[in-house]
Amino acid sequence: MLSERERKRYRRQILLFGEEGQERLSEAEIFIAGAGGLGSPVALYLAVAGVGTLTVVDSDVVDQTNLNRQVLHRDRDIGTKKVISAREKLEELNPDITIRAIDARIDGGNAAGLVGRADGIVDCLDNYPARYLLNRVSLEKGIPLFHGAIRGMYGQATTLIPGKTPCLACIFPRAPPDEEFPVVGVTPGLIGMVQANEVLKFLLGTGELLANRLFLWDGMRAEATELCVERSPACEVCGDGRKGRAKKGRKKG
Amino acid sequence: MKARVRFFARFRELLGAEVVTRPSPGTSFASLIREVARGNGEGYAAIFDENGAFREHVILMRNGKRVEAADAEEILIADGDEIAVFPPVSGG
Repeated sequence: MLSERERKRYRRQILLFGEEGQERLSEAEIFIAGAGGLGSPVALYLAVAGVGTLTVVDSDVVDQTNLNRQVLHRDRDIGTKKVISAREKLEELNPDITIRAIDARIDGGNAAGLVGRADGIVDCLDNYPARYLLNRVSLEKGIPLFHGAIRGMYGQATTLIPGKTPCLACIFPRAPPDEEFPVVGVTPGLIGMVQANEVLKFLLGTGELLANRLFLWDGMRAEATELCVERSPACEVCGDGRKGRAKKGRKKG
Repeated sequence: MKARVRFFARFRELLGAEVVTRPSPGTSFASLIREVARGNGEGYAAIFDENGAFREHVILMRNGKRVEAADAEEILIADGDEIAVFPPVSGG
């Protein structure tokens, strides 16, 4: 049951999806991997929408070079752990939800435990090795993965539902080379909104998800393109490629 | 015969958003991309390695279907093909 205070806070969106929808959001738990350029807008908007529990995981400290895009953090937060800075802002924005701030780097040993029993995983990471770990957790637990990534004024997003869509490795089997990527805040702002919008629709069970579709954004041309994506039968993570990969590994070992 | 090649992200900055080509019959998927990318050294090097093979992270699509780099030399371009070539972006 929503409190009187919550009914008032969420009045304008209850017009959109009813008290029942709002209750669904309140009962939900979303795992946000990364409190940087994508994690900031995702967390801010899921917090004000009233998603009941937000788990935010990051191991970094706020740096001055983050502030052109990581809108959760302020100048005064430089040197503070990102998750601490994030929790402070999110609690300020919405004291009626629970923020779990976890200072950790996602690795093969802790990924599944960190995700726990979340209803969705939002990929706000900046590298593919960690993304692939979350992809595996998503598949193992049957939890959707809301993927987003950016570079410069370009971005991409897609919603990955285990069993219904390709997995991240079907679409992107190999990571691009590491680089210090150029970025201006509007790009993660926009892609983060696509991800947060997907999370809300998924929790509410409404609309059409960005499933089996890869959304590509070109900010230079203000052009959005959609490409169909499908499961790769040879995928090394969710397809037949698993066996081949395992065999290869055994031979080597 | 006409085919449309679309680039995205970094490839787009180097090679343009879209190139409409008139390949001769028998042109393979890989040779078409090589031909289109040849005009820009940096663009070519972003897509192909020193041996002229597709870099392993490059995503290739033809008419909405994924093309594996291993098959790109054999697949022949057909009239009206819509091709997409892009790198995954990785920042967050």
